[in-house]
Amino acid sequence: MDTLTAERNADACVLKAHDLALGFGGQRVLEHVDLRLAPREFIAIVGASGVGKSTLLRALCGLLPAVAGERWLDESPRDGARPWSMVFQAPRLFPWRRIRANVALGLEGLGLSREERQRRALAPLELVGLGDMPERFPSTLSGGQQQRVGIARALAVKPRVLFMDEPFSALDAITRRRLQNELIDLRQRTEAAIVFVTHDIEEAVLLADRVMVLGGHQGGAPARVIDTLEITLPTDNRREHADFGAQVHHLETLIGAVPEAS
Amino acid sequence: MKSVSRSRRTGLGALGLVAFVALWEISLRLGLLPGNLVPLPSAIPTVFWGEVVDGIWWEVVSSSLSHYSVGVAIGSLAGIAMGVAAALLPVFDALHAWLARLLRPIPPLAWIPFAIIWFGITPSAAAFIISIGVFWINYFASYSAVRAVDPGYDEVARAFGQGSLLARLTKVSLPAAAPGILGGLRAGLGQGWMTVVAAELFGIPGIGQRMMEASGLLATDIVVVYMLTIAALYALFDLGFLHLQKRLLIWTP
Repeated sequence: MDTLTAERNADACVLKAHDLALGFGGQRVLEHVDLRLAPREFIAIVGASGVGKSTLLRALCGLLPAVAGERWLDESPRDGARPWSMVFQAPRLFPWRRIRANVALGLEGLGLSREERQRRALAPLELVGLGDMPERFPSTLSGGQQQRVGIARALAVKPRVLFMDEPFSALDAITRRRLQNELIDLRQRTEAAIVFVTHDIEEAVLLADRVMVLGGHQGGAPARVIDTLEITLPTDNRREHADFGAQVHHLETLIGAVPEAS
Repeated sequence: MKSVSRSRRTGLGALGLVAFVALWEISLRLGLLPGNLVPLPSAIPTVFWGEVVDGIWWEVVSSSLSHYSVGVAIGSLAGIAMGVAAALLPVFDALHAWLARLLRPIPPLAWIPFAIIWFGITPSAAAFIISIGVFWINYFASYSAVRAVDPGYDEVARAFGQGSLLARLTKVSLPAAAPGILGGLRAGLGQGWMTVVAAELFGIPGIGQRMMEASGLLATDIVVVYMLTIAALYALFDLGFLHLQKRLLIWTP
């Protein structure tokens, strides 16, 4: 454990996992996951498909029960907010709700008046650049716009932890690049810590403070955390940074050079 | 196959109908059809007007409408409630699956004996029989519509604090299944008219009873008046419902 991580451990923490194990029907797919997430920190989880990234994300937020180990998320109550929220791979907007009502979904049941919810839904929509179309139905939006609404819906509840499950993987390359840049900007304007699952290593290095690499599941053994890497590049214009390629390459060899599980 | 434009379709449809009625009229006048078995089309409007002036038309139509609306309302509500519940509650589903399979093939008219024993020769008996056919249509339509809802929506609901059964019912299952549920309702509105006449044949006042009376007197023209009445009422209800459906499903592309 390096000194930076040790320092973070002493600080405030919004999400913790200790020796977490996940599985289906008695079969473990992932085990020995340890994690501490500081407020506003951005961690990316990468790994080959089938390694259990999305499963881990669902266990960390509590949508799926873990087989063993502990998981803790700061759920101390705050007015008009939820502890966590999620952006899914497909936008999964409710097609029968207008954009504004989609964004307000998580605000329902928090004791807010209807007017308050309507008003609160508008701010995150403006944040993602869709403040001018609150009354439209999702089917009239492009894929990129729909995913922006998905992000606005997640931000509306002012989460402590924002879980993002390959949110840009279904988009075309240009839209994906644009949304990645928007997410970098967005981080300055949200208090949320982010757990971001992706199979795109470049994307992980571009966005995250830390990258957790899952692997070692060859031959039917459960996957585990191979390594956790600090990304030391400055947040602005990472792609242009001289060390960007080297960090990506390092991670790629890490994933490719997994020893056979014993 | 070559497609036909919308306006041409309307024109051809009208032409086919007029040709059919004209052929019918001419066949009777030429003696090709027996006049005591088939009424003259040109006589129908006069007969219809006679029924209206006598006050009979409105009396039997309003009576049938009341059986129809009570039967359709009860059958639809019960069918949707049971279908949605079965789709959402696996234990409830499994508990009555065999029972449903047993009762489903029994035609509504086979319930007439019980309708008479339970309700007597009353409007309630007719409403009961009508409700049975409508119930099954709505039950199966709602069941499969709710079962077909993308489970991803349920996960969204749970991720945004709407995971309770009631919240998922009102915020996911019902709106997502609305197109299928409304489709069942519409089919039920049609099914209701199929049974309304039969349900009145055993003496409950209404269109069916009037048609039986008329056939006893060989008044085939009166029978046709009420056949056309049913067709018109069905078209009216169906059109109204289509309009409502369009407004409720404004979100569908």
